[in-house]
Amino acid sequence: MRITSIRFKAWLGTVSIALAMASSSALAADQIPIGHLADYSGGTSDVGTPYGQAVADTFAWINKNGGIGGKQVALDTNDYGYQVPRAIALYKKWSAADGKVSAIIGWGTADTEALTGFLAQDKIPDISGSYAAALTDPEGASGKAKPAPYNFFYGPSYSDALRAMLTWAAEDWKAKGKPGKPKFVHMGANHPYPNAPKAAGEALATELGFEVLPPLVFALTPGDYSAQCLSLKSSGANYAYLGNTAASNISVLKACKTAGVDVQFLGNVWGMDENGAKTAGDAADGVVFPLRTAVSWGGNAPGMKTVMDISKMSDPTGKVYRPVHYVAAVCSAMYMKEAIEWAAQNGGTSGENVAKGFYQKKDWVPAGLEGVCNPSTWTEKDHRGTLKVDLYRAKVSGATEGDLNDLMGKGTIKLDKIKTVELPRKPEWFGW
Amino acid sequence: MASTSFIPSGDFRTSYAADTTIFPTRTSRNFAILGIVALCFAPNLFSAYWLSVSIQIGIFSIAALGLNILVGFTGQISIGHAAFFLLGAFSSAYISNHFPIPVFFAIPLAGVVTALVGLIFGVPAARLKGLYLVIATLAAQYILLDFFSRAEWFTGGSVPASANPFSIFGYTLRGDRQYFYVVLAYVLASYVLVTNLMRTRDGRALVAIRDHYLSAEIMGINLTKYRTLSFGLAAFFAGIAGALYAHYQLVISQEGFGIERSILFLAMIIIGGTGSIMGTLMGTAFVVLLPESMEWISLHLKGGAVDHALSLNTNITFLREIAIGVIIIAFLMFEPDGLAHRWRQIKAYWKLYPFSH
Repeated sequence: MRITSIRFKAWLGTVSIALAMASSSALAADQIPIGHLADYSGGTSDVGTPYGQAVADTFAWINKNGGIGGKQVALDTNDYGYQVPRAIALYKKWSAADGKVSAIIGWGTADTEALTGFLAQDKIPDISGSYAAALTDPEGASGKAKPAPYNFFYGPSYSDALRAMLTWAAEDWKAKGKPGKPKFVHMGANHPYPNAPKAAGEALATELGFEVLPPLVFALTPGDYSAQCLSLKSSGANYAYLGNTAASNISVLKACKTAGVDVQFLGNVWGMDENGAKTAGDAADGVVFPLRTAVSWGGNAPGMKTVMDISKMSDPTGKVYRPVHYVAAVCSAMYMKEAIEWAAQNGGTSGENVAKGFYQKKDWVPAGLEGVCNPSTWTEKDHRGTLKVDLYRAKVSGATEGDLNDLMGKGTIKLDKIKTVELPRKPEWFGW
Repeated sequence: MASTSFIPSGDFRTSYAADTTIFPTRTSRNFAILGIVALCFAPNLFSAYWLSVSIQIGIFSIAALGLNILVGFTGQISIGHAAFFLLGAFSSAYISNHFPIPVFFAIPLAGVVTALVGLIFGVPAARLKGLYLVIATLAAQYILLDFFSRAEWFTGGSVPASANPFSIFGYTLRGDRQYFYVVLAYVLASYVLVTNLMRTRDGRALVAIRDHYLSAEIMGINLTKYRTLSFGLAAFFAGIAGALYAHYQLVISQEGFGIERSILFLAMIIIGGTGSIMGTLMGTAFVVLLPESMEWISLHLKGGAVDHALSLNTNITFLREIAIGVIIIAFLMFEPDGLAHRWRQIKAYWKLYPFSH
């Protein structure tokens, strides 16, 4: 039956125009607006979803417990699908003169790096999910990065984490008593996020006596990467850095296990987590990767209680197992909360003051998260919050079907700490 | 089909100029001029959000216009349009960054560069028809995308490139309010140019090729020349639009401009009406406003009854993608001639009201 009646079509047209005319809701005067970029549907959504959930839960928990300085936080969460143009469009909305946000909880490397200039111009601090070293130079003094005075992140940068893992790998090679030079290869997508530590990693690898092989490319989406595994095998690499998030790394781990490749995989902070270990099964056994927090979910620390309370905001049963990214996100959000709190007591919650709030303390751990968040120090000249990298190894000792809580409880999936590397705060390593 | 309104008896033209006017009556011309003047006051009245939406509509309508020349008027098809859009964006950034050419001139230059590249791709594509033509334009899309992600000298590789803000003789335009006028000027110029093109000999040749290429060839129209020209023109407008986009966003990234964006451009002209110039603008406005209204709907559905019933949770963002596909199919089924045709029907209904049949 064709809808031929013109009245119906006119009605349809009016309704669609009315829908299109809807604009976003107005902001109450006594609230602190914060912009939140989340990736729930794009290339990094596997890790973006728990991180974004944690940020939303943390601010909901903050609001439930009185807000910041008596004011409620209006968190504007948006899924930008890991696409830079959408992030820019959202930023334009948040930096408009009316309704300007006090802070942004950012996400991806490509969009955060693209926004550094705008953030500095509009004076809005951004604590991102991207740990690219190019975001650590507030004044551009290193000569290697653009000035990024309003960019912060909690955790070691990708470059510093890779440097730490290479330091460990060099010792591991010697400890195993293997002859000759170990071979290192960087694997990741041709995208700013996996490429961020490539130069730094390859430079340090050469310095430490590794033979650096040509990098291998595999996309951010899961797929069939047997070709890359066969290249890995034929080149005889000993240590391979996986630059992508867990979802695509799992494809590589499984393909390489099937191909029988004997290589030590080094992941980035987003490269492996408990869900990844469960999905990859024994292919994930032995992967070394850094953890941003001192403990993972359920760990023995006084601050874990706060994290569990925050988790209850979206999971009242308390039964959902939260991956490492959730805990790290709680830390990031709480650092932002304390910076805004400081600003509220020291001249108002404008973006400029909130950025100054990040310089308030040395070896800063947010209240209520003792033993969970690693002490961080940001200064006007150096936005490398922490140079201490905790390296963990994923250990999978059996079949990984079933509930993650059971698997973690029984010890089928374990995250074993192997070493804490304290990198020196070298000016030569600054900004790249 | 290009619009041919039947002129009632007694309403006759006495010169060719009168016959080929864009506006048939003085009233419609005055309305159009009034509308443009009203738009000039828009930046002061629109909120920041609506201003950015209108600028986006303006920019994409120029690109869609280029595609309409190719698809609606010449009868070809291209699913590589987004790549030319990006090429215009990157070229404009490159030209204004590396050469002492102000952005004011870099934008048309970028259009010319893109047109040249479009001509290169048009040469093989002009001899192909149907499915083979589609695949050839698909190849153009992927070749260009791969080039952008690898050519560090041109685009900076996978890192987004940065473009300068629009400046004219030393005066830099900052903010959406001022950029709106630049986009408005380009939209007006492009639409007047293309409407003019369709009244000329070349425009009629393009339409002839679309309607019946064999007859056109017999009449003496050089098919290859006009098809290639059509590709070049489409690329030119895509390049201009891309350059405007680059200097608006100030950061150019290739994400969101893959094949899905090319399909979206096709959707814009299908929804608006393939052979109609006014339809291009309507179709673009529809397609740009559609995700915005979907976001609004999903925001209000979140946590509500529908969300729980379908257990959408975070998957609510996919509702937007689904909606775009459904709308395209719905338009193809119920309104194949697009919004332009529907608008003409509405006008005709009200012209004879209450005596319409």
